Amino acid sequence: MRPFALVAFASLLAALPACTGKSGTGKVKVAVVTNCTDPFWTICEAGAKQSAKDNDVELVFRQPAKLEVASQMEIVEALLKTGIKGLAISVINPKEQTPDLTRIASQVNLLTMDNDAEKSGRLCYIGIDNYEAGKEVGRMVKRALPEGGTVAIFIGETTSHNAHGRIAGVLDELEGKDNRADITAGKYREQYGKFKLHRKEPITDSTEPDKVLNNASDALEQLKNTPNVAMVGLYNSNPKGILESARSKSLVGKIKIVGFDENPVTLEGIDKGEIEGTVVQDPYNYGYESVKWLAHMAKGGDKKALPTKATQHRLVTKTGEKVAGVEVPIYKASEYAKKIRDSLEAGK
Amino acid sequence: MNGSVIFGGFFAGSAAVVLALWLALDLPLRLLPLGNRYQLWFASLAFSLALLAYTLELSRRNLVRLVGVVVLLAVLIGTLAASSETAFDRSNIFELLSRQGALGVITIGAALIILTGGIDLSIGSVVGLSAVAFGTLMESGVSPVASLGLVLALGVAVGLTNGLLVTQLRLQAFLVTLCGMFVFRGFAREINKKQTGLVLAKENHPEMAESIDGLRALLVGKTENGALEFPAMLVVMLLFASIVAVILHKSAHGRYWFAIGYNDRAARYAGIGVERQRIAVFVIGSTLAAFAGVLLLLNTGTADPTNAGGSLELYAITAAVLGGVSLKGGECTAIGLVLGALVQPVINNLMTFLEIRQSAEPWVIGLILLLGTIADELIRRDAFGSIRRYFLRRA
Repeated sequence: MRPFALVAFASLLAALPACTGKSGTGKVKVAVVTNCTDPFWTICEAGAKQSAKDNDVELVFRQPAKLEVASQMEIVEALLKTGIKGLAISVINPKEQTPDLTRIASQVNLLTMDNDAEKSGRLCYIGIDNYEAGKEVGRMVKRALPEGGTVAIFIGETTSHNAHGRIAGVLDELEGKDNRADITAGKYREQYGKFKLHRKEPITDSTEPDKVLNNASDALEQLKNTPNVAMVGLYNSNPKGILESARSKSLVGKIKIVGFDENPVTLEGIDKGEIEGTVVQDPYNYGYESVKWLAHMAKGGDKKALPTKATQHRLVTKTGEKVAGVEVPIYKASEYAKKIRDSLEAGK
Repeated sequence: MNGSVIFGGFFAGSAAVVLALWLALDLPLRLLPLGNRYQLWFASLAFSLALLAYTLELSRRNLVRLVGVVVLLAVLIGTLAASSETAFDRSNIFELLSRQGALGVITIGAALIILTGGIDLSIGSVVGLSAVAFGTLMESGVSPVASLGLVLALGVAVGLTNGLLVTQLRLQAFLVTLCGMFVFRGFAREINKKQTGLVLAKENHPEMAESIDGLRALLVGKTENGALEFPAMLVVMLLFASIVAVILHKSAHGRYWFAIGYNDRAARYAGIGVERQRIAVFVIGSTLAAFAGVLLLLNTGTADPTNAGGSLELYAITAAVLGGVSLKGGECTAIGLVLGALVQPVINNLMTFLEIRQSAEPWVIGLILLLGTIADELIRRDAFGSIRRYFLRRA
């Protein structure tokens, strides 16, 4: 029977092309490359696909397995050789990727989304200003605990540009001072204005699901007898991790939870009043707009039409009612959740 | 049908071709500023291929171990060639060879440790730590060459620690290096809180820009804007492989390593200094991992303390096994390691060129590797005997 194993192997390889999305339509081909694999990017992909349909282009959407420049660039370099006419990329390290991106921008239409590399010669940036979004989170914390208190910050990592922006935004808003340089250098203090930073630094989990949950649980155990605690989750899975561990310890309501991104569990928690609110970025539109402008450029469109300003972040709360001091649009959690479900459904 | 003659001839032939190319290019390149680098690469290529040919030790047993990976590679490369007309463009081939070189450097280290009956799970973290240390040193003004030296010394220290813990305290290599995996990752995050990189080093110390670019050009073949002009990492890998080939197949040390891996106790009774040899192998492995860290930073331009080099140990071990290394120890050929390291980068490249669905990618990669291993194992067990018999029976 052994020869059949060899035959089976050969036929698997021969059958590989059946798994591909290759259509060979002869349409203009554009690519979107994210920074890692995440539900956030699945929403983005739905938008990108819809846009590819609307703008009549072929789309390659790739999510690198790891949040690492080496994995991302391996994909980008290979894609460039498949004859794409445009590339949208979520930059991982703006400063260090700039030389590579500059070279790529000279070969194809390049635009950045989600995270920018301003000096790379990219055509435009589609995404929010993470520092401003972080300040929005900080304002939410201040509204939840007007007297001050203890704040614990949870995040995937503290090394990326996005992470620096968000953390600095939160802490600067709490203190009313600009600490960006310190935070980029990894320096933290115990006291920021009326708030004490738990463990004197943000707590990281490398976006590993069990660590996300364990970190939140451990902090809750440490802080369960401390008054006025706010727990801030700055990556997609963090508010969910905080909420789930608070539920398991029956501490919901005793601590304030403030979130980032539109994880379904986060939105559900806001709707039930368990989470104060979340700052959202609109990944669906990142995908939609990226592909739209890549198609525009590939078809010889005018550069002047490209967007020039960062996309505005938005706030999601239980009621969606106007809040004093908030200038960005505010959505009602249940309606925002439905909007995402609908767009994911339409992307299928 | 003598395998040694065929393979030996192939490599001697390749060496001759490279040598001829080198000589032919010598004159025009003398007129170019890049000339010296090309000469060095071609000379190294010729040297290492010649050494590999010289040390080739292809008993029937070894040959059988290589058939599987050669078939797997041939099928993968064939599929890649058929997938798109641009897949075989020079730029893509260079990109592939470059990545294969990077993987090969750690594969050699991983394989030697497995050969002597150990395992090293800390490779990925050591690569990460070295990349971060290399960048951090340069950011603080240490010259690139001195940084390279310090990082290699770090690799020696790591290997020595692992080796001593395994041999003197008689701890399991699996556990020691698993702990190392966490420890060295932590060290990487301690020494730098942010992503390190060449641009930052050059900004901090503009006077070093030229030497950083020079080292990058020499070791990874990239220009300052990141364009790949030559797969220099492949040359680096082949150089290491050929040196290891001499040790493995032409020196007493190599004989000892095979003996230790095959039967530790028998080696001890035969009077081999098992502990010393083991420590030496751990040192070689970690030093190669440290060197790979330097290559990673030079190639990618940046390293993130949280994840640089993550899970590379698993790719290295897989490549070693595909290249004919037995996880039980005692089996390894230098040429097998070179071939084994070629597989994974081709698979990754293929995923892009075939536009494999995102969700299908992990299982497709896993299945290719699994079926490759199965085919390899079946061939290995009886060297086509059953296939021949099968067809003879039919006839």
